[in-house]
Amino acid sequence: MKGLLIFIALIPLGVAYYQLDNAIDPIKMLYSYTGVGAITLLLLSLVPSTCKRVCGQNFLRYRKTIGLLSFVYILLHVSVFVVFDSEFDFLTIVEKSLKKPFIYIGLMAFAIVLFMALTSTKKHFARFSKYHKAVYIALLLALLHSFWAQKVAGVFEYGIVAVGVVLLGERVWAWRQNFK
Amino acid sequence: MYITPEVLFEARRHFLKLGAGALVSSSAISQLLADLPKDLSLKYTPDSNPLKLTLNTEEQATNYVNFYEFSTDKTAPVKLSQKMKTTPWNVGFFGELKTEQMLEVDDLIAKFGLEERIYRFRCVEGWSMVVPWIGFPLYKLLDYLEPNSKAKYVKFTTRHEPAMFPDQAKGLFASIKHPYIEGLRMDEARHPLTFIAVGMYGKRLLPQNGAPIRLVVPWKYGFKSIKSLDLIECVETEPLNTWQVQDPKEYGFYANVNPKVDHPRWTQAKERVLGKLSKQETLMFNGYEKEVGHLYAGMDLRKFF
Repeated sequence: MKGLLIFIALIPLGVAYYQLDNAIDPIKMLYSYTGVGAITLLLLSLVPSTCKRVCGQNFLRYRKTIGLLSFVYILLHVSVFVVFDSEFDFLTIVEKSLKKPFIYIGLMAFAIVLFMALTSTKKHFARFSKYHKAVYIALLLALLHSFWAQKVAGVFEYGIVAVGVVLLGERVWAWRQNFK
Repeated sequence: MYITPEVLFEARRHFLKLGAGALVSSSAISQLLADLPKDLSLKYTPDSNPLKLTLNTEEQATNYVNFYEFSTDKTAPVKLSQKMKTTPWNVGFFGELKTEQMLEVDDLIAKFGLEERIYRFRCVEGWSMVVPWIGFPLYKLLDYLEPNSKAKYVKFTTRHEPAMFPDQAKGLFASIKHPYIEGLRMDEARHPLTFIAVGMYGKRLLPQNGAPIRLVVPWKYGFKSIKSLDLIECVETEPLNTWQVQDPKEYGFYANVNPKVDHPRWTQAKERVLGKLSKQETLMFNGYEKEVGHLYAGMDLRKFF
């Protein structure tokens, strides 16, 4: 089942690879595929715990896989930035990263997800799981980053915000219920 | 070797179909006649391409566009615009000029003739291409219109027709404020590089590229090159262009291509040439510094971005 999940989640990468030769704006296309994939999977990784509370279905065993898949997409997204967009010009990368909020907001989200990926092993998770709440910060940063990536936001950008609001809203609601 | 021009080739195929159709019924004939492709080819003086610029393919230039009147997506306008009715198309000339009037695009072509201009085109988003435009320089039109002494700027407006442009029908939910407006200082407008295009790649403009008539200002970011022109007005004060209204911190009136002045959100030092996975340096004034640099002598280009 997990194998199927991984296979489906990686299909867009295959499509992107296949289209690369004929893409009109290849760097932009790679950014879009990896960015959309990353944020979609990041949102999906929040669904299992919502699902458990709301519909009583336990899919928590897939949460780590979805989260790691999102990390793969984010890693590729950052690689596009380093390899194709900046062509390994590290001076420019550092300068851009410090000067442009659009870039450092994205890199901060990357740092959070990188930390979560590194501490997702059984051994480390016991100790670091409480810090994994930082995923909410990563999500907010990623949403902001995707808004800033466009000249003006379109259907996808508003769509992911709507989904994000529902998922976070349900958590706030569930958390308040605990106090009653 | 003689090669059949694309339009004749297509026409011949339709003619053959027509013959077959005659055997079936006469109503089929009228149907096929209605489907005959319109001759889109143009007669023009070719550009000898002294800079030896490498053209982008027609496929790239006609399938990757910013045309927010249809969609904010780069490829969606191609399908969405195919039913756009671009003939007849009158353009209005108003404001501080000798005789206010309306002229049809074909009349403009007849008056000013057509020439080809191979120009670099640089989008503010960081991508670029090289396109062979066909049209006439704007100064020819301005010479004909005879702006008076009050005319300090030229204001351009895209047609506002919500039935044709879906985004204009969205009211508050439109992606940008409609109709789209752009402007040039009179000396910029009269510069020999400033061009009114009615075609590209030897043919009339396709709907998604701003048919039937658009502006092309090669040393400015692409958003200055307004599409599907409805009005050209000579005015006394600097027009507020659409992107400046949208976000004055990010977009100004001048929008000259400048690798040294970043967009607040991204760098403008390099560009992605369409079709390439590698990047290239962006040139000052998009490579037209020698021709247009003097227009901005003494101006702080960080302030007037």
